[in-house]
Amino acid sequence: MSDAVMGAAMPAARPVSRAAVTYNMDVVRKFTIAAMFWAVVAFLVGVVIAAQLAFPIMNLGLEWTAFGRLRPVHTSAAIFAFGGSALFATSFYIVQRTCHARLFGGEALHNFIFWGYQFFIVMAALSYVMGFSQGQEYAEPEWHLDIFLTIIWVAYGVAFIGTLFLRQEPHIYVANWFFMAFIITVAVLHLGNNVALPASFFEAKSYSVYSGVQNALVQWWYGHNAVGFFLTAAFLGMMYYFIPKQAGRPVYSYRLSVVHFWSLIFMYIWAGPHHLHYTALPDWAQTLGMVFSIILWMPSWGGMINGLMTLSGAWDKLRTDPGLRFSVTAVGFYGMSTFEGPMMSIKEVNGLAHYTDWVVGHVHSGALGWVAFISFGAIYYLVPILWKRAGLYSNRLVAWHYWIATLGIVLYITSMWVAGIMQGLMWRAYDKLGFLQYSFAESVNAMHPYYVIRMLGGVMFLLGALMMVFNLIMTVRSASTAVQPARETAVAGA
Amino acid sequence: MHEQTSDLVVGLLVLLLGLVGLVMASGALDDAMYVFGLSLLGFAVVFDLGLVKRYFDRIDAAKAGSHV
Ligand code: HEM
Ligand code: HEM
Repeated sequence: MSDAVMGAAMPAARPVSRAAVTYNMDVVRKFTIAAMFWAVVAFLVGVVIAAQLAFPIMNLGLEWTAFGRLRPVHTSAAIFAFGGSALFATSFYIVQRTCHARLFGGEALHNFIFWGYQFFIVMAALSYVMGFSQGQEYAEPEWHLDIFLTIIWVAYGVAFIGTLFLRQEPHIYVANWFFMAFIITVAVLHLGNNVALPASFFEAKSYSVYSGVQNALVQWWYGHNAVGFFLTAAFLGMMYYFIPKQAGRPVYSYRLSVVHFWSLIFMYIWAGPHHLHYTALPDWAQTLGMVFSIILWMPSWGGMINGLMTLSGAWDKLRTDPGLRFSVTAVGFYGMSTFEGPMMSIKEVNGLAHYTDWVVGHVHSGALGWVAFISFGAIYYLVPILWKRAGLYSNRLVAWHYWIATLGIVLYITSMWVAGIMQGLMWRAYDKLGFLQYSFAESVNAMHPYYVIRMLGGVMFLLGALMMVFNLIMTVRSASTAVQPARETAVAGA
Repeated sequence: MHEQTSDLVVGLLVLLLGLVGLVMASGALDDAMYVFGLSLLGFAVVFDLGLVKRYFDRIDAAKAGSHV
């Protein structure tokens, strides 16, 4: 495909003759602030639960602060609050810019989406701390919160898809396809997995209509596709807009991005059973999940290659733009975790990895390396634009953030690999009489140093995020980043 | 016009949610439902007041604009 054609396909500068559109950037700004706020909360709670695993005294002997209650606070704050807010912000920004249309639905709807979503997050977190949960991972909120979220999600779909209908472009840019798949599929997953009968209209307690292994299958169909559509497809939408923008280059291959899109969404939906290897789930279903997971490696790497190759001819920008460094490293981590995932879904490998910290390591190479880094890259790019500033307050601080966070990830995932493989091997070790060589408690004990290293990695990641918050606040506030009026600049330059 | 329709539809929806919250809190059998119900009511009240405020802000802005 020629550059000219690809150039037409990427969000490019508008011809001057276009009618001016007043975008709603207010809601984008609000979600950006929320994303940074929740990032700090999620990482902080992550560090706390990491410390609890290393030093149980950190549970403080209170039920509200016990690991079991804070863990879902961490996962929800990280995925739904931080990741979700970053996705709302970027999807609303991208859809308006690439469609050359104002966000559909009026300001009241946009504010409802923003405040309603924040309200949902706070209520969900509060309910976990109070000890209420459906007991299904990533779907912990009870029925009343599920219904509330459904209303917000429908409003989100209306605003996003409505904007696509208003577009003044013949073409729907590929990032929007990824966001649309995310919105529609998450709705289907959420509704499908949360079919439950409330004990009473006045009680935060419900019973799933699925029982036994059916429940497990539906839960992991949901769980894996939460990874596939929330943590992957939507963030790919971010990648397909911000990397070309930051690099100042069109997407490497628009055709590959379309193939990437359709193959990814077709494959992901079948892969859930790899979470249920060696369980009561019929063998054929496990094998099906495994096969689709392995096939999934290809579209994933197709996307990674497309993201990375977009930099051809612009690699030098990595030296001068540390924000771009985040985005590109994110794509590298995406490649890494989408190689690791298919490998872990092979039954024999999963026999070793399942129930161990290897899975937690895999999760965080995706979560920290891919999800958080691609969001950081996008937010560093967005903030000066959204607040009309000349640039970031300090690029050096961005570079510090980059290195400290990268080192934090390395500590996190390498310690979890060692811990996980060690656990797996200890659990399956027999002595020559056929008895288990290690008790479970011994394997727990052996984890201590790795849990401490993971906690330190988390502290570094959190420190990096705090630097980012400081940098962004200064970007908005500092006089040094103010846009100089043209006359003054001309005088200064004279 | 578009903004007004949006205000009306969203405002009524949120009003309804607030009423549901009130009912939930009134008969709540556990803490989670009580806290949720009351908070939903609070959310609805504050949100709808915000809509009213923005409505008058818009009118004021239009008036200020027409004086210039
Ligand atoms: C400072 C950064 C972070 C730290 C220290 C941290 C720490 C932790 C810890 C200690 C656990 C519990 C592991 C266990 O139960 O054995 C956990 C679980 C989890 N975290 Fe994080 N986390 C961080 C950031 C994130 C981010 C940014 C995301 C997502 C975007 C995330 C998503 C998850 C998920 C999905 C799980 C559940 C994993 C599973 O069930 O296998 N975390 N995290
Ligand atoms: C081709 C892509 C991928 C495949 C085939 C894959 C496969 C797997 C497998 C086999 C497991 C372990 C299941 C178990 O033994 O319990 C797993 C766990 C997990 N993966 Fe992936 N993975 C992929 C990509 C990713 C990415 C990019 C992310 C994050 C952004 C991610 C997040 C997770 C999470 C959160 C879990 C933990 C689920 C839980 O037990 O709570 N995965 N994945």
